[in-house]
Amino acid sequence: MPALAKRLDEFQVSASVVMTIKGRELAAKGVKVISLASGEPDFPTPLHAIEAAYRAAREGDTKYPPQDGTRALKEAVQRKFKRDNDLDYALDEIMVTNGGKQSIFNALMATCDPGDEVVIPAPYWISYADMAKVAGARPVPVNCPQNNGFKLRPEDLDAAITPCTKWVMLNFPNNPTGAACSRAEMQALAEVLLHHPHVWVMTDDMYEHLVYDGFEFCTIAEVEPRLRDRTLTVNGASKTYAMTGWRVGFCGGPRPLIKGMVNMQGQATSGVSTVGQAAAAAALDGPQDLVRERAEEYRKRRDLVVEMLNAAPGVNCHKPEGAFYVFPNIAGCLGKTSTGGRRIETDTDFALALLEEKHVAAVQGAAYGMSPYIRISYATDTTSLREACARIQEFCKGLA
Amino acid sequence: MKLVADRLDRISPSLTIAMTAKARALKAAGKDVIGLSAGEPDFDTPRNIKDAAIAAIERGETKYTDVAGTLELRKAVCARFKADHGVDFTPEEILVATGGKQVIFDALLATIGPGDEAIIPAPCWVSYPDIVELAEGKPVIVPCGENQGFKMRPEQLEAAVTPRTKWLILNNPSNPTGAAYTGEELKALTEVLLRHPDVWVFTDDIYNKLAYDGFRPPTVLEVEPRLRDRTVTMNGCSKAYAMTGWRIGYAAAPVPLIKAMDKLQSQSTSNTSSVSQAAAVEALSGPQDSIDVMKEAYQRRRDLVVEMLNAAPGLRCHKPEGAFYVFPSMQGCVGKTTAGGKRIETDEDFCTALLEEAGVACVHGAAFMFPGHFRISYATSDAVLTEACGRIQKFCAGLR
Repeated sequence: MPALAKRLDEFQVSASVVMTIKGRELAAKGVKVISLASGEPDFPTPLHAIEAAYRAAREGDTKYPPQDGTRALKEAVQRKFKRDNDLDYALDEIMVTNGGKQSIFNALMATCDPGDEVVIPAPYWISYADMAKVAGARPVPVNCPQNNGFKLRPEDLDAAITPCTKWVMLNFPNNPTGAACSRAEMQALAEVLLHHPHVWVMTDDMYEHLVYDGFEFCTIAEVEPRLRDRTLTVNGASKTYAMTGWRVGFCGGPRPLIKGMVNMQGQATSGVSTVGQAAAAAALDGPQDLVRERAEEYRKRRDLVVEMLNAAPGVNCHKPEGAFYVFPNIAGCLGKTSTGGRRIETDTDFALALLEEKHVAAVQGAAYGMSPYIRISYATDTTSLREACARIQEFCKGLA
Repeated sequence: MKLVADRLDRISPSLTIAMTAKARALKAAGKDVIGLSAGEPDFDTPRNIKDAAIAAIERGETKYTDVAGTLELRKAVCARFKADHGVDFTPEEILVATGGKQVIFDALLATIGPGDEAIIPAPCWVSYPDIVELAEGKPVIVPCGENQGFKMRPEQLEAAVTPRTKWLILNNPSNPTGAAYTGEELKALTEVLLRHPDVWVFTDDIYNKLAYDGFRPPTVLEVEPRLRDRTVTMNGCSKAYAMTGWRIGYAAAPVPLIKAMDKLQSQSTSNTSSVSQAAAVEALSGPQDSIDVMKEAYQRRRDLVVEMLNAAPGLRCHKPEGAFYVFPSMQGCVGKTTAGGKRIETDEDFCTALLEEAGVACVHGAAFMFPGHFRISYATSDAVLTEACGRIQKFCAGLR
């Protein structure tokens, strides 16, 4: 085996994948594991999207797609940005990618050189930091503390920006905390960014439609149009339409950036599955009431989970605005020993002991750059959630 | 601060795309243009494969899969390798990606660092050198002309190897020439590799089911099992099963490299479409007779095109073993002037004039790092090919 490239030494396989696999291994041994580790909707893909996929396959829409996406999907994306975000993008300011992940990968790879910095509000989806490293840039985490609802404070953002800052990443509603920014909060962040004209802004709006209690989602290019010419707005079909497996993400941004990204994707994968693109176009253009119904279902689950977790001794769970995650603090459990005799010094110890002893898979906060927390995905049915939370309560009660 | 990263500046702008764009513009202006520039089958995806995709959607296989692909598909890939080449792999040695292109991207980005060299016989698909450059490596282009059947000779390989050589990249049969190595020719190359234990082999076998006159191109590991711990065998569904739009490529390689490729892919795109993966299972495991039907048509077309091109004054067309391309020399046309008054100095002049004056779109040899030739894809109907070759004959006959 030859030495691997250095760019690969810089990062690890994501902890949520590791936890999911560990959970699966236990399940294979016959243990009844409840997994709250994975970030994907438990709902099926909407029927009209499925029917569009059938048609595409049957009618021979199975040839190489354009690198930047089919015209039909790009037009649907254009309508979506206008309808949901009041953003006008020309067709050559839009591109379709293999999941939202590839939009981010393309952007970082197309723009980052060694020495560039990428400011990432923490806790964060671990891939942001890893992709920045693959692209040769340095991730600069900025803490978003629980006492500020896990949101980025303008003064902290300002302090993190240096002459080397290439990008600021935003992800609200956030994975792993579920935190979302109000318009006023977003405006305050935009003010800071206006003072730093060399900085580009990438906003990952994947959880846009998963916000609760009447909260109104906003995205930065819409809140502050003067930032539009240096903002990449990333979104996708995965979370909104329960289409994770289809791998369709998309983004809108200024033409020179999109051009570089299309170039990058042309070398990495080329276009996205035509059948997936047809399904995504139908999902974007079709009736949206399913999205609202599902959001209401997620809200009920969030309320259930927050309440049950706050009843577990040593756990303190903030109630977030959106996404399908909660990020409870477990500081009160540290320094104790589980009934199985495991000493809990870190959130990783907590997550491992919880899996081994109570067979609930969750992901330690360390994997998202903030400890001592665990991430719980509530994108699973209510019965399983209730059972899982009861097991967590039991686990915490057993700590001595 | 400049927007685009240095790594993107290293990629040459795609000449194929430039030529395709020119053809599209002429077509849009109402001109009758025959496109022979696309590298994809004109056949539709076979019915049983589409049905398998639809059945998978109905079963709800629309969720994330393992990054490396579903176990079912990886097992089907193993069975295919066994049936086609008699080589045994386990599912842990397989990675599924978004097209063969991503397999190349994953393998090269995971292993190449600054200054590492990759030996690439030319004419070649330009993505190989481009991806090597993206990874900060150095492509070492070895010209392999028509006089050697466009195939690399062992002494050329021996001369190209240096202490910095990391990879030899083979494409068998080749895009753009259609040339394929016999077992004996391949064996001669592997003999050289056995003397250089630090050099890895990447063999792109994407066209290997498309070979004619009863010839079956062998793969590297078939002729030299001792290279097993340093060979990546790439294949995919695009060309053999007319599945370009589904985006399925795969690789077999030693486990440590597969793990590294998996890690990189987990940060760029994750798994390829779950629906396409289900279609690929059927393609690889289901009836294989659709390949024979396509092969028969391709062989007939190849013979037609080679004969008609050799009847055009100034052209010389080698008859290749496989793929769906021919790569005729146009050197006999250099220094002449077209009926429209254009002077032909290069292959690019030739292709541009052919497009503008005769309405036939091809790709010039420089796009494959081998000037003096041009590429014709014969993956289109006999009638269209006859018309196109007739136009080329007339164009050449009009040169003065």
